[in-house]
Amino acid sequence: MSNKVSFPYLGHVIVYKKFLQMMGFEVIMPPAPTQKTIDLGVKYSPEFACIPFKMLMGNYIEACELGANTIISSGGHGPCRAGFYGEVHQRILRQMGYDVNFIIFDSPKRDLFGTIKKFFKIKNKQSISKMVKVSKVVFPVLKDLDTFEKKIHTMIPYEINKGQSLEVWREIYKIYDEVYSQKELLEARAEGHRMIDSIKLRKVNDDEKIKIGIVGEIFVVIEPSINMDVENLLCSLGCEAERSLYLSEWVEHNIFGEKHEKTIQDLGEKYIEILIGGHAKTTVGNIVDFKNRGFDGIIHLMPFGCLPELVSQSVIPKITSDHDIPVLTLSIDEQTGKSNNLTRIEAFIDLIRNKKTKEKVFSGGKK
Amino acid sequence: MKIGIPRALLYHYYGVFWEEFFKELGHEVIVSPHSNKEIVDTGIKSAVPEICVPIKIFLGHLKYLIYEKNVDYAFVPRMISIHKGEIFCPKFMGLPDLVKNGSPEISDRILTTYIESKTENISNYKNYISLSDKLNANEEDIKRASRKANIKWLEFRRNTLRGIPADKAAEMVKKNTVYKKNNSNNIKIAVVGYVYNVYDPFLSMDILDKLHDLNVDYMTFEMLDNKTIFSQISHLKKRLFWTFSNKLLGAGYYSLKNHNIDGLIHLTAFGCGPDSFLGKLFEIESDIRQKPFMTIRIDEHTGENHLQTRIEAFVDMLKRKKEKESA
Repeated sequence: MSNKVSFPYLGHVIVYKKFLQMMGFEVIMPPAPTQKTIDLGVKYSPEFACIPFKMLMGNYIEACELGANTIISSGGHGPCRAGFYGEVHQRILRQMGYDVNFIIFDSPKRDLFGTIKKFFKIKNKQSISKMVKVSKVVFPVLKDLDTFEKKIHTMIPYEINKGQSLEVWREIYKIYDEVYSQKELLEARAEGHRMIDSIKLRKVNDDEKIKIGIVGEIFVVIEPSINMDVENLLCSLGCEAERSLYLSEWVEHNIFGEKHEKTIQDLGEKYIEILIGGHAKTTVGNIVDFKNRGFDGIIHLMPFGCLPELVSQSVIPKITSDHDIPVLTLSIDEQTGKSNNLTRIEAFIDLIRNKKTKEKVFSGGKK
Repeated sequence: MKIGIPRALLYHYYGVFWEEFFKELGHEVIVSPHSNKEIVDTGIKSAVPEICVPIKIFLGHLKYLIYEKNVDYAFVPRMISIHKGEIFCPKFMGLPDLVKNGSPEISDRILTTYIESKTENISNYKNYISLSDKLNANEEDIKRASRKANIKWLEFRRNTLRGIPADKAAEMVKKNTVYKKNNSNNIKIAVVGYVYNVYDPFLSMDILDKLHDLNVDYMTFEMLDNKTIFSQISHLKKRLFWTFSNKLLGAGYYSLKNHNIDGLIHLTAFGCGPDSFLGKLFEIESDIRQKPFMTIRIDEHTGENHLQTRIEAFVDMLKRKKEKESA
């Protein structure tokens, strides 16, 4: 039986698709999450599982419907629940009658032999050099996409032709979808930069810009289909938005051992002494980091009932008063009605805008 | 010095140890009373709304000790691990952070230390050595106190293994009372839940007593020895990360397989993360084993009648099933 491979729908999915395709797998592209995905996930998940679990559940069911029989995902070593997702997903899918295998990458420290075995499964009888070559195309694609996305979200609020930046972003995404070699990569990158430069912007003074940082649990921070597309939402309200987590940074930290995240975590050490799983310490560190970089406010996203983020939510009042930075915590669950959160975000932005104006007036316009 | 220990979370498991430990060092130990409406309300006000009830209750007890009993220090341990390769739920690992930053006004009255051990015996003096300054004790004192406390705690564990529920077992050690356990041919139910839920009368609404009144025998996870528990889950490729959850899982699997146990009640707190998975695993297994299984989800509400009704219905069903089978 040939392997039909699928994966979680999270962030720039074309990157996983590209990697697996180039390694010679038959890839079942999971459909973009819709209301139906959420409904399916909620129906078959434990009631109090967190929203990423439910989304992935729906996601996997849809992929299985399309014929996927192998799912590749990452595991974890706790104590956040995410590390145990795969085990429970697999049991539920089996109970539903789908014969599906999971390849879950755990930390090699936990199970070295298993990791090596899984590595060979992913290698799919190709040579190591081929794998390196593929990675050398796929990883820069991921990194470029993240860079462009970050850039776009600092441009949307100031664009002259409304909607142009997002249009450009979609174009860039399409171009990168076709990249399969080093040469194409370089061409795509040049084209991307050219297109970005072509966007016309209003001139805005730095002290009039409002910058909002988005921190929290990785899934709800990265995946727009579950977080109400919060970045673009903020942009449409006239703010620049930057996330604390980009997938390329996560890969750099967890696979290449890059040190940036460590320094962020050190900033959080004062509030949460040890790593307590998930992204709690990073969340806290990032709030401080954003403040240091001159951001005006933070939106903290967490799945309803998220274990580590509840701890960070509990320490946030202290950070707010220590560092004088407004934080709005939004807890996300399967309720997809937007207006409630929209109102809160709008009010939050209004407050920040007022605060800024006031500060400017009181400092005699010198600031 | 007056040292307060909140009667919440792992007090119900390690309380015997901690009480004896601080007493041995010459301090007055004050344990908060059983949870009541006031304590719970204080807790709810002190916590973020989404967090699970046991943590809210813990905060309530903590504030009670500090404001009502005027203790010099309240003990808030940072539980990291009590089993090799496993850790605690993030809320336990971050508990002191949560307390200190959530209620900064009491942060200097918190006594905290890292507790990290390869087995569930947490008597290694190194876990407590960081307290020596605040407690005015030297290394020798700490060693002696933890040794003495350990003797008591081991006695407590021996009692629970004899089938005595943890609250009674702790009382036996502290007050030298005797607890008579009656053996009968009643139906037997396994009540699987964390100690801080089962033995908090406010939260569990005395579920064990209620079962007792219905002439039902019960079993809880601490009545099984670790070997039995972990042999039940040794076939799992990946165990849960949380030690007590693993114990519940093992105890649950054991009772689903064991013919002397007629049914399983999973007692869980609203919003408990680990339990959301645990419950699903029980659900799947009880389907396979064809054993009656019921989830009771508890929170800060106080209506008791629904619980009574559900338990009675469950027990009646088990009784009928048993009669039918023996007929």
